[in-house]
Amino acid sequence: MTGEPARPEGIAGSELPGPYPVGAYARGMRDFLRARPRVQVFGEVWNFKIARTRAFFELRDADGALQCGMWRDRLEALGLPDGVLADGTQVVVGGGPDYYPGSRTASPGFSFDVTALRVAGEGDLLVQLAELRRRLDAEGLFAPQKLLPRPTLPRTIGVVTGESGKARDDVLAGLRRRGWAGRLVWAFAPVQDRRAAPAITRALQDLAAIEEVDVVIVARGGGSLADLFAFCDETLCRTVALLRVPVIASVGHHTDRTLIDDVAAVSASTPTHAAEAAVPLDVAAARARTRTSATRLAWHGRRAVVERARHLARMGRVPGEHVARNRRALHQQLRELRAAATRRGVREREVTATRAEVLRRKASAGAGAEADAQRRALEGLGLALEAHDPRRVLDRGYAIVDDREGGLVTSAARARELGALRVTFADASVDARIEE
Amino acid sequence: MSDDELTYEAATARLEEIIRRLDSGEAGLRETLDLVTEGRTLVERCAAELDAVSRGLEELRLDELVARLEQQTPDAQETP
Repeated sequence: MTGEPARPEGIAGSELPGPYPVGAYARGMRDFLRARPRVQVFGEVWNFKIARTRAFFELRDADGALQCGMWRDRLEALGLPDGVLADGTQVVVGGGPDYYPGSRTASPGFSFDVTALRVAGEGDLLVQLAELRRRLDAEGLFAPQKLLPRPTLPRTIGVVTGESGKARDDVLAGLRRRGWAGRLVWAFAPVQDRRAAPAITRALQDLAAIEEVDVVIVARGGGSLADLFAFCDETLCRTVALLRVPVIASVGHHTDRTLIDDVAAVSASTPTHAAEAAVPLDVAAARARTRTSATRLAWHGRRAVVERARHLARMGRVPGEHVARNRRALHQQLRELRAAATRRGVREREVTATRAEVLRRKASAGAGAEADAQRRALEGLGLALEAHDPRRVLDRGYAIVDDREGGLVTSAARARELGALRVTFADASVDARIEE
Repeated sequence: MSDDELTYEAATARLEEIIRRLDSGEAGLRETLDLVTEGRTLVERCAAELDAVSRGLEELRLDELVARLEQQTPDAQETP
């Protein structure tokens, strides 16, 4: 500022007051406009721009337009979703006219100073959507679906989609790519407008009620934002959040994310991707892996069996040798015992014969009747002794039964037990076998 | 966990664990035979799961399915 400029002469012949300095007039106009009553005005937003401290846009309708300005902090306090003030968005603004007087270095400008703003129409839906999203998030409803276990290999998949939509073919293509050929339950529902939400909700509930359904895909192609609002329905989203089966949503695009994308277990960009998310496993590859596993197991199994056989053979030799050694020792002892027993029998017979001979000689040495009587008594004793000689017993038709190894068999029970016997008669022995 | 509760994922995870153990060569004879037996059961289970989704696509319509189910139980719904 270089101070008040010198006031020039006015226009000759003019009856208008002045001339006034423009800065003073501009400030006066600012004050005049600011004194106008505050009102609400509605129209469509156009050319929305954000500067350092202010946001600017035009409010238009068929008959006219109004340049609007709003302090940024006031706009941000509204918490509007990004991009909602796009061209054409219906809004209601509250405020009054204002004038920026400008200066030698700054252009002046009129604007309607907006102190309050409400988004109406379709834009209003976006605001409501943002509000609903905040509320559901605060209630923790984005979490339950993500916590559900998703089967690697579902047997039955439910699909909610439009009957004639391209989404249907895309889902099938995705499943084919996985090599999956299980059971599909189609739930066809209108997916185009807001009235579709109840139908989609019902389809989801019905699918979840079928015990076999392991996972549900909700699919549709792109579409205008208005079309996608069916998938932002509060009841639908609350239903999805609390469903027992995981839901894979493939509804909107990255730019217009719907609420079902937030509550679902998985949000896929296309129906094909949704199908692949529903079957995370490549079935053909999994089959190959299983075959490899089976081969490895068989190899380990064979090796283990061979090793076990070797081990058993090693283990088997040790006790076998021990038993054989003991058996040889026992046989040797048995033979010695039998030989000893035979020798003793022979010796005892010789002793008995010698005693009898001695007695006979003593008898014949005796004299007289007494001597005769004694001799007869002695002869009787001798006969009696002879009668006890086993060989004499054999002469009388008895036989000795043994076990073929010298052990006497004295009972039928033992004979049955042995089966094979030796019978010794007076003249010779014969082998015999018990037949009963 | 009983066999019925074992998911495909759990079965393959256990199978891989078994094969890693066998391949390590650290398992003794008895353990090897036990692991091979367990592994064979798991392989059969996995193969059965894969067979179940390889028999050919079976497509059903939910509305037909629901109608069929409702036809099957009208009496039950009418009886108080």
